Amino acid sequence: MSARALRYWEQRQAAMSNNLANVETAGFKAERVFARLLADGDLVAVSQADHAEGSLTPTGRELDIALGGRGFLVVETPEGEERWIRGGALSLSPDGMLVDMGGRAVLGEAGPIVVPPGQIEITAAGELRVDGEPFDRLRLERPGDAEVVERRGANLWLPTGLKTPLGPDEIQVRQGHLEESNVDPVGSLVEMIEIQRAYTAIQRSMQTEDAMMQSIASEIGRIG
Amino acid sequence: MDPALRAAATGMQAQQTRVEVISNNLANVNTTGFKRSRAHFEDLLYQTRQGAQAIDGADSETTGAVQIGRGTRLSAVQRVHNQGGVEQTGRALDLAIEGEGFFQVELPDGTIGYTRDGSLEISDQGTLVTSGGYTIVPGIAIPTDSAELTVSRTGVVSVSTVGDARPLEVGRLEMARFTNPSGLRAMGENLYTATGASGEPLLGFAQEGGFGRVLQGSLEGSNVEIVQEMVDMITAMRAYEINSKAVQSAEELSEIANSLVR
Repeated sequence: MSARALRYWEQRQAAMSNNLANVETAGFKAERVFARLLADGDLVAVSQADHAEGSLTPTGRELDIALGGRGFLVVETPEGEERWIRGGALSLSPDGMLVDMGGRAVLGEAGPIVVPPGQIEITAAGELRVDGEPFDRLRLERPGDAEVVERRGANLWLPTGLKTPLGPDEIQVRQGHLEESNVDPVGSLVEMIEIQRAYTAIQRSMQTEDAMMQSIASEIGRIG
Repeated sequence: MDPALRAAATGMQAQQTRVEVISNNLANVNTTGFKRSRAHFEDLLYQTRQGAQAIDGADSETTGAVQIGRGTRLSAVQRVHNQGGVEQTGRALDLAIEGEGFFQVELPDGTIGYTRDGSLEISDQGTLVTSGGYTIVPGIAIPTDSAELTVSRTGVVSVSTVGDARPLEVGRLEMARFTNPSGLRAMGENLYTATGASGEPLLGFAQEGGFGRVLQGSLEGSNVEIVQEMVDMITAMRAYEINSKAVQSAEELSEIANSLVR
C-alpha cells in the first residue's frame, strides 16, 4: 500500500516536471495526475490533460493561429494519418500549402489547403480568405463528451473515435496570435512542495512500520 | 534515470536555447533590415504507464492511461519576416522596401543572394552595390558624370547629369519574393539564400504583384522590439529557474527514497 502511494507521488512529480519543461511550449496543455482509490483500498494514479485555454499573445504574424474554446485543427502526417493540433505558428510550403511547424499539411474542408498568392485572412469562424475572397475553411474538430484525448508528442493529439466537427460559431480562430502554455508555474511550485511533504511522510510511516515489525518480531520471541 | 529529472533537464536546455535566440535578436536591434527569430518548442513523445484497465468491482470501471511526458525540445527557430520600421535618412542611395520583396545581389560564388538592406553605394566600376560590396542584380551602371540619382517607388533608377537636368532612366531594380520567406537561409551580412523550404524566388518589380514599393532616402530598421525581447528574456530566465527547481526536487525525492533502506 505505501509502496503504491510512493509510486503515485513519483508519477505526480514526473508529470509536474514535464509540465514545467513545457511552460513555454505554445499550445501546451498541462497534464494532471490524481489518485483513485479502488474498492479494495488500492491506489492507482490516473492522469488527464487540463484543456483550459492558455492566454493568447498577439504576435502580428499573419499565420500564427490560436484557438479560443475547446477544439483542434486537423493536420495530416506524411504517413497519411490525421492528428490534432491546437493552432500554432503555421507557414506555407514552397508550393503554397498551409503547413504546421513540423511541415504537416493543415486540412481544410476539402483536404490540404493551397493558399493562392495575396493577403491571407482567417476569420474567427475559420474561413480562409485571400484579398477578401473566401476560398476554404479550416477543419475544426472536438472530441466527443467524456472522451479522453491521447497525446502524441510534437504538440500533436490523437483524434478520438467520437469526434465532432465544429460549426462556425462553436470556436474562435484568432489570427496573429499564439496560445501560451497553460502550465501555471506558481501552482507547480506549490505542488512541488506538496509532493515532497507527502513523499517524506509516507517514507517516515514506512520506516515506523518497519521498526514496529522489527520490535514485534524480537519482543514476541522474549515473552515465551 | 528518473523521468522527472530528465524532463526538467530538457526544460532547462530549451530555455537556454531561447535565451541565445533572444540575445542574437537584441544584438541586432540596430541592424538594417534585420528580421528577428523566435524559438518554438514541442513536447516529446509520451510513455503510457498503465493502459486503460478494467478495475474489478460492481460497475467494472476503467481508468484512463497515465501518460508520462519526457519533456520538451526545440521544434524550430523561425525567422519572422514582419516589416521593420522605415527610417528616413535623406541619403539618395538608401532604399527601403515596404512590402515583401528582396533586392537581389550576386554572391562571390556566382549564386544569387537576397537582402532587404538597401544602403547602396556606387562601386569603382560605376555599378550599384550593397554596403558589403555585392553587386545588385541585374547590374545597373551609373554614368560617372551623374549629378542626381532618383529611384522611383516602382524601382526605376534615373540620373540627371551636370549639363542636363532631365532625368535619364538607367535601369530598374528587379525584386524577388518567396512563398515561405521563413525558409530562407541567413548567410550573415544581411544576406539570405533560397532553400528547398523557401521555394524558388518569384521575380518581379516593385508595386506589381505583392513586391512592395521602394522608398528612396529611407532604410528599413530591424524588426526587433527591445521591450518585447526583454520580456521574453525574463520569461525564459524564470522558466529556466523553475526547471532547475524541478531538477532539485526530483533529486531530493530520490534521496528520500534511497533513505528507505537502512
